[in-house]
Amino acid sequence: MAAVTNLAQYFVGGLATGSLYALVALGIVLLYRSSRVLNFAHGDMATLAAFIALTLLWMKIPFPAAVAGGLLAIAVVGASFFFLILRPAKESTLLGKLVVTIGFALVLTGLVQIVWGTDTHVFPFPLSDTRVYKVGGVVISQMSLGTIAAGIFLVTVLYLLVQRTKIGLAMRAVAQDVSAAQALGIPARKIFALTWGLAAALGGAAGILLAPVVYLDPFMMLDPFLKGFAAAVVGGMDSLPGAVTGGFLLGVAESVFAGYVSFKFKTTLTFVIIILVLLVRPEGLLGREFHRRV
Amino acid sequence: MRTVSRYVLAVVAVLGLAVTVAGQPAERGITPTEIVLGTSMPMSGQAALWGVGVGGGVDAWLRIINDQGGINGRKFRFLIRDDAYLPPRAIANVRELVERDGVLGVISSIGTANCFAVRDFMVESKTMWIIPACGADIWAGMKERNRYLFVTYPGYVDEGIYLTKYAVENLKAKKVAVFYQNDLYGQQGLLGVKRGVHMFQAKGAKLVGQVSYEPTDAEVAAQALKLKESGADTLILYATPRHGALIVRDILKLGYRPTLVSTFTLLDPVMFALAGEAWNDVYLASYMPVPGMDPKTDAVLAAITRVNPALARSPFNALAGVSFIEPFLEGIRRAGPNLTKERIVEAMETIRNWDGEVIRGVTFTKDSRQGINRLFMVKSERGQYTKLTDWYTYARKF
Repeated sequence: MAAVTNLAQYFVGGLATGSLYALVALGIVLLYRSSRVLNFAHGDMATLAAFIALTLLWMKIPFPAAVAGGLLAIAVVGASFFFLILRPAKESTLLGKLVVTIGFALVLTGLVQIVWGTDTHVFPFPLSDTRVYKVGGVVISQMSLGTIAAGIFLVTVLYLLVQRTKIGLAMRAVAQDVSAAQALGIPARKIFALTWGLAAALGGAAGILLAPVVYLDPFMMLDPFLKGFAAAVVGGMDSLPGAVTGGFLLGVAESVFAGYVSFKFKTTLTFVIIILVLLVRPEGLLGREFHRRV
Repeated sequence: MRTVSRYVLAVVAVLGLAVTVAGQPAERGITPTEIVLGTSMPMSGQAALWGVGVGGGVDAWLRIINDQGGINGRKFRFLIRDDAYLPPRAIANVRELVERDGVLGVISSIGTANCFAVRDFMVESKTMWIIPACGADIWAGMKERNRYLFVTYPGYVDEGIYLTKYAVENLKAKKVAVFYQNDLYGQQGLLGVKRGVHMFQAKGAKLVGQVSYEPTDAEVAAQALKLKESGADTLILYATPRHGALIVRDILKLGYRPTLVSTFTLLDPVMFALAGEAWNDVYLASYMPVPGMDPKTDAVLAAITRVNPALARSPFNALAGVSFIEPFLEGIRRAGPNLTKERIVEAMETIRNWDGEVIRGVTFTKDSRQGINRLFMVKSERGQYTKLTDWYTYARKF
């Protein structure tokens, strides 16, 4: 019985972590679908959002407003990055754009370190990470419950936005064929900017949910970003449900593997999973095969 | 005419060379008005809490000395290089400090793996290395090669033995588990605990769990559950402040409450802010007075926080920084105005049972570079530390 409870505990712990990986992966996939750009600044944008929200909290601004402020600010940063840096470099190759995002990531890390220093901060959150609930012997903290719920909520909202609204239709159209979408009167630039803003805000939400659990410092997102990126690859780079599946799968697999096999090879497991999945399904678990007509 | 020009050119070249040579300091890092020192520390990354505090402490103390006119007319210039707690960057930093910046010595350095990575270069370049903040056991057995090395920082193996001894003898520990960083720092702590458990087997001590984490791990929830599964009554920590705070919080969440024992690297009061209630009733070793325990040390803390108010956030680490430079400054004072590296070494070898403002009871000799070989225990209670024991002394190794 204790063995089952322990397994369930590892599973629940993995779900909480996986929901954060899923949020990070969603932002990465959202951008990749629309612009084919892998955004290596995604993690640093998430950190910046968390620091902005923390600063607003320090200024005694109520929590919901501080979080909204952080998300809005990072959405503006994301959209501005597209307009001011990435769009002027539109003629560059995909690799070139990727390098631009790496450069932007370095700029953001430096900026955060200059403004907020390298100290580790406690991020105040209305949900407690130490107040716990027991369900059949399995312990889950208020914060973990909130993280899972927020993750599922944001994923659902994003899904509805992309699949059930006109804006979502426009986003999908632009992702499929920019020229054709423009010919049909869709404002592609605005849609790109919106996509960048939305993806940045999703990353920001992951950062704000992660900060109270693992403490906030300028390097907080280093590991979660890598894992989120891995989740996106596992799930399929152009599939939103794939990103979510990949995130939860990695979170749970890591937790169970660490508990029963090895802590030392926990990170290695992520890459083993990527290799295995890509060997069997090169397009990822839920991704579609990419065909290009020549 | 051509020959005359050649002669003139040759004379100018020789004179130029002579002037250049004359302009060079007689000793690397020492000029008539200045002493250049440097360090490589994690000012960013997972261990930034240590680096910012310790590096800031050294810097603030040297500024205070400079404001008082320096020592024997020489002021200090202190260069800090960030290695983000990564050994390859530590190597690059130290090489740059020695070969390009021309420092007289490297003050401290943080991270046992980082120190181990730069150890050979430091020995071969004959650079003074003053109190590296890394497990001192890596110096054992290199007596012939440590002329320019001076250490007061304890070894984690010795500390691990002491923590286990204290836990078994005073806290009724029987089943011990270790949460450690999977690198040289954590592994040495683990080795110490293993030896301690072995020594106290007759009293029923047993190692029932050894759970590691990687410095890059964002969370340690699975480790917490594994530790709970071990059923240990005592948990010994060898972690960064961030991972230390995470693990005590996570085990509390699971309703697992072993007796907590920790290395002195987690002594900084910042742990109370990070871990909150979970940092209550933790037993830790220390090799120097903790803030709030000694008026002389508290006066130093007040002085350095006036220079750099940010140091108030990590007072123990900042004071540790001061303790890492103090014996060296004493050596420079004793060496007198005609300063050379060899004179400083000889002067430092005369330091016997010497008390600084922070560090106490330092002894260096020709044969021993292990300036301190003693620890005492403290306990965390409601946001502050209380001293529990007198000094415990262990054998000198180098």
